[in-house]
Amino acid sequence: MKASVRHHGKVTVVDLSGKITIGDGDIKLRETVNALLDEGRRAVILNLNGVSYMDSAGIGELVACYKRAAEKGAKLKLLNPGGKVQDLLVLTRLQEIFEIYRDEREALTSF
Amino acid sequence: MADTVKLQLHSRIAYVDLVHAMTEELARRAQFAKAEALDIALAVREAFINAVKHGNGMDDAKLVEVEFERNASRFRVWVRDQGPGFDWEKTADPRDELNLVRTSGRGIFFMKSFVDSVTFENLPGKGTQVLLEKKLEASARGQAQSGRHR
Repeated sequence: MKASVRHHGKVTVVDLSGKITIGDGDIKLRETVNALLDEGRRAVILNLNGVSYMDSAGIGELVACYKRAAEKGAKLKLLNPGGKVQDLLVLTRLQEIFEIYRDEREALTSF
Repeated sequence: MADTVKLQLHSRIAYVDLVHAMTEELARRAQFAKAEALDIALAVREAFINAVKHGNGMDDAKLVEVEFERNASRFRVWVRDQGPGFDWEKTADPRDELNLVRTSGRGIFFMKSFVDSVTFENLPGKGTQVLLEKKLEASARGQAQSGRHR
C-alpha cells in the first residue's frame, strides 16, 4: 500500500492506494496516521479511492486509527471508498461510525 | 473427477498474500467471476491468518495445510492447522452495537460473509480444520467441465 499526504490548511488528506491488509498496509496506515497525530494534525481525511480491498486486519486498523484520533481530539473522515471497500464498510456497519464523503471539497469544508 | 491442489506452509504471516493469490487464481480457473474469486480469496485469507495466529500460535515450526478442490458443482478449500483447537462458537458478532468499534474479531465473520458455507472441525490430536465452500453457478459449471485446466 502507498500513502501520500497533502495539506489543505488545517486539513490533511492522505491518498491511499493498493490494499490495506495484514503485515503491510495495516502497518503503513498506522504509521502514517500516528505521525500526523503526533505532528498535531487534528483534521484528517483518508482518501480510499485507490484502495482495492481490505482484510479484517486492515478494517481493524482503520477502526484503531479512528479511535486514536478521537483520543487526541482529532477527527478522521473517509473519502471515496470504492466498490469492495464500500461493501466492507457496509458489511461491518462501519459506515455508521465513520463520516464518509464522495466529494473532496465537501469533505475539506466539513471540519 | 475433482481437481485438487495442496499446499503446506510454515506459520508465517508473510505467506498470506501467496495463499490469497493462489486462491484467487484457482477460483478464476474454476470459472468464478473476478469479484467472486476475490471474495473466496478474502475468506481463505482469513482462515489462513486464523490458522497461523490462533491455531498454530505463530509457531513457525508448525504447518498450515491448504487444500483446494474443484468438482462439478463447487469449489472447496480446507485450511488445517496443528494447534490445540479453539471454540469458534464463542466468537462475537462484530456488527453488534457494542462490538462495532472493536479493532479485531472480524475474521470468522468475513469468512462466513464471502463463501456459501464455513465448517469448523476440531481434529483430536491434530488441530483444527476449516472447510470453506462456494457453489459454482450452472453457467460456470458448464464452462468448467468443457475447459478444465485452461
